[in-house]
Formats: sequence, structure tokens, C-alpha cells
Amino acid sequence: MGFFFHIGRYFSMLKRVFARPEKHKLYFRQLFHEIDNLGVNSVGIVIIISIFIGGIMTIQFAYSMANPIYPSELVGLGTRDTLLLEFSSTMLALIMAGKVGSNITSEIGTMRVTEQIDSLEIMGVNSASFLILPKIIAVVFIFPFLYIISVFFGLLGGLVTGPIAGVITIPEYIEGIQWLFYPYYITFSIIKSLFFGFLVASVPAYFGYYVQGGALEVGKASTKAVVNTNILILFFDLILTRLLLT
Amino acid sequence: MITLKNIIKTFDGNTVLKDISTVFEQGKTNLIIGRSGSGKTVLLKSTLGLFEVDGGEIWYNDRNFTQMNEKERKLLRREVGMVFQGGALFDSISVEDNVRFPLEMFTEMSSAEKQKRVDFCLDHVNIEKHAFKLSPSEISGGMQKRVAIARAIALNPKYLFCDEPNSGLDPETATVIDKLIQNLTKEFEMTTIINTHDMNSVIEIGESVLFISQGEKEWEGTKHEILNSGNQKLEDFIFANKLYAQMKKGQ
Repeated sequence: MGFFFHIGRYFSMLKRVFARPEKHKLYFRQLFHEIDNLGVNSVGIVIIISIFIGGIMTIQFAYSMANPIYPSELVGLGTRDTLLLEFSSTMLALIMAGKVGSNITSEIGTMRVTEQIDSLEIMGVNSASFLILPKIIAVVFIFPFLYIISVFFGLLGGLVTGPIAGVITIPEYIEGIQWLFYPYYITFSIIKSLFFGFLVASVPAYFGYYVQGGALEVGKASTKAVVNTNILILFFDLILTRLLLT
Repeated sequence: MITLKNIIKTFDGNTVLKDISTVFEQGKTNLIIGRSGSGKTVLLKSTLGLFEVDGGEIWYNDRNFTQMNEKERKLLRREVGMVFQGGALFDSISVEDNVRFPLEMFTEMSSAEKQKRVDFCLDHVNIEKHAFKLSPSEISGGMQKRVAIARAIALNPKYLFCDEPNSGLDPETATVIDKLIQNLTKEFEMTTIINTHDMNSVIEIGESVLFISQGEKEWEGTKHEILNSGNQKLEDFIFANKLYAQMKKGQ
């Protein structure tokens, strides 16, 4: 099936997703459940990955700038800007596409193949809206927080690892992460994370919602969802960077 | 009562339902029988609007379902209960929450009223109290079917659809499920349509039987007429089981 078929069906699904909810109370309950399931449960992995990446970047920056003509603050600055501009928004979104995205596809896909979605439709429930809208809102809501957590723990990772590895002192690192700081970088990345949050929830939901067959097809749909979400994240990263940063 | 008039359904140019007309009567268990792949499920899902028909009309009493817009269909579906082949219970919530779900979604009942209705429905299908808080995966297949029936009747539907409700169940449990559906049909005066290829169900509860083969209506009648239908395809279907051939000999 063609590219345009999927685009058309994706937007027609979104039209149903954003239809007026049948009962707000149930949607809110679902929303809190999804914030917990998709967002809060991801905090741990975000912290672990960010600490390691922050530490690794600090060592790599120190290695590539091991030249007396470069000020030592560049190590902290490089780590900070990489985290602020790219890692904590884009790379984190790519990682979340694997964790949260595959979870969404397999959950909705399993509901499809076990006729739970048909069951909702028969009851007169807008299944697309009931199942997908709380997930989109939850992920879009939680992504900026995950971004901030990631930046914080990434910087902390550099602060701990740099001195332990002997590549930079704590005062040099702290001075570096404050040097030439542009608050707009945070605004820019939070805008990106909102877009990426939408993609990470809606694209896997699309692949799960329209899956046909059995368990094997659900597995394949999860893989497709992650691959397509990653491509779209990188594509929109390029566009948003061009629009907002240059 | 549900009336089908000249229903046609095609998939990718392949005609799966060929000009099917019938009437499913209120207060009766109406069975659709046929071999696997004969079009039973497509007919059931088309009647429910899960598949859009390519020709013909579907009437729910005096309301033309095929002419309804999406909003009208959603309203009508609140009068419909459905029991799926696999139960289709929501596996992330408990047994009683499955039954409570349609009440929460579509009624303004108080918590106490909802609980009373949940208890009533689960009690009607003989689910014991201790199973109320279990998740669907923790109960047996027969119990899952009964919970699915309880959920289907929670909103007091006028129309009950069952897609192979006793598939995968042992004969004794299958009979219990059949009888349960028949009793509920009588008690709540529902129009019940059951999709099955189980001849035991036909003999037990087949008050009205529609036999379809390769998407065509082949025969229509009652369980009392079925052994002497005179329809070759139906006889091939029934007497594939030697027990029924012997029953016919002994009448």
C-alpha cells in the first residue's frame, strides 16, 4: 500500500482521535493511567541513559580538545550544548520511540487482534479517541519533563565522570556549563520535544490501530512503528532546527 | 426484530455475501450456521456495521441502519450487546470492571446503582463473587464467555449478537452457555443472533436457523425441520457428524 494511503489514513485516524470524548471523566482516568504507565515509568531509564551519555560526552570532549589553545571550559560547554540541543530532545525521543512506541503499538495492536477494539465500537465508543487520545496527551505532557530530567542528569553525569576520569576539574566543568549560555536553547528543545512526543505516541498508535492478523503481525507492526517514528523524528528535527535555530 | 434485505458484501472484487435476505425475530434465538469461511462472521459484522455492505438494507425494527449516519449508528449501538468469539474482555481491568465499563461510559448511575447492576448481571450468568475482582486472564474460557455475556447485557440491550459463543469450550460448558443465552433472550425479550457451526447448539436452541453456504442463503427453518430439510448442502453439513445421521435414521 502506498505512502499516500498511510498518510491519508493517519490523518483520518487523527480526526477521529480528536473528536469530542463521550465521557470526560473516563478519559481523565485513562490520561492519569497513561501518564503513569508511559511517562513516570520511563523516568528511570531516562536518568540512567542521561548519566552515562553525559559522562561519555564529557570524556570525549576533553579528549578532542586536549590542546592548550582551547579553554578548558569548552568541555563543559560542549557537553551542555549537546545535551540541551540534541541529546535530551532528539536522542531521547529516539530511545522513547523504542520503549514507549513499541509499548503503544503492541497494546493497541493486541486489542485489535483480540477484538477488544471491535467490542468498544459495538458499544458505541469512539475507540480511536478513547484509546489513543489519552496516550498522545500523556506523552506530549511528559516529554518536556523528561527533557529537563535528562539535561539535569546528563550534566550531573559529566560532573561526576569528568573529575573521576581525570580529564577536567569540578570548577572548570561548572564554569564551562555556565559559559555562553543561551536560554533560547531550552525553549527550542522543549518545542522539539512537544513535536516528538506527538510523533512517539501517534505514529505507533496508528500502526497498532490498523494491524490485521495475529501476534506475529503485532510484532511486525511494533518494529515498523519504531522505524517509522525514528525516521519522522529525524526528519522533523531537521525541519525544526532549520526553522527555529538558523 | 432485525430484517436483512438483499445484502451484498464484496472484498477486493470477491463477493462474500450474495443477496442475503432474512428476518431475525425478537424473543427468539436466531442461529446463522455454515461451514468455516461460508460468510457467517461477515454477515454478523455487516449487520452490526463493522463492515459496510455494498448492497441491500439492514433494518433494526423500523429503523434503516444502512441509511444512518455515524452518530445515529453510535446511538443505536447502545441498544446492542455483543459476545465475541474470544470474549474480547478488556484484559487490563477486572471482571467486574469489564461489566461496569458500559455503565460508566453511557449512564449517569450512582456508584451504588452501578455496583448493583454489575452484581445483577454477573449473578445472572452464574459468576461467583470471588471471581469479581480477578482479571480476565485469571478465569477459565467458559467463565470469560459468561462475563462477556454479562457485559453484553449490562445496558439492557434490545439486540444481542454472539459470534461462536461456545467455540473452544467443552460440550457441557457449551450447553450451559447456549441455555444461558436462550434464557436471557426470553427474559429480556431480545433479538438474539448467534453465529455457530456447532450442531449441538442448533439442536439445543435453534428456534430459527439460517444456513449459508459460500455466501448464499441456502436454507431457513427451525431445529425441528433441519433434519428433513431436503437441501443437499445442508445435509452434507449436518450429516458430516455421524451422530446426526443416526438421529435422522431414528428420527
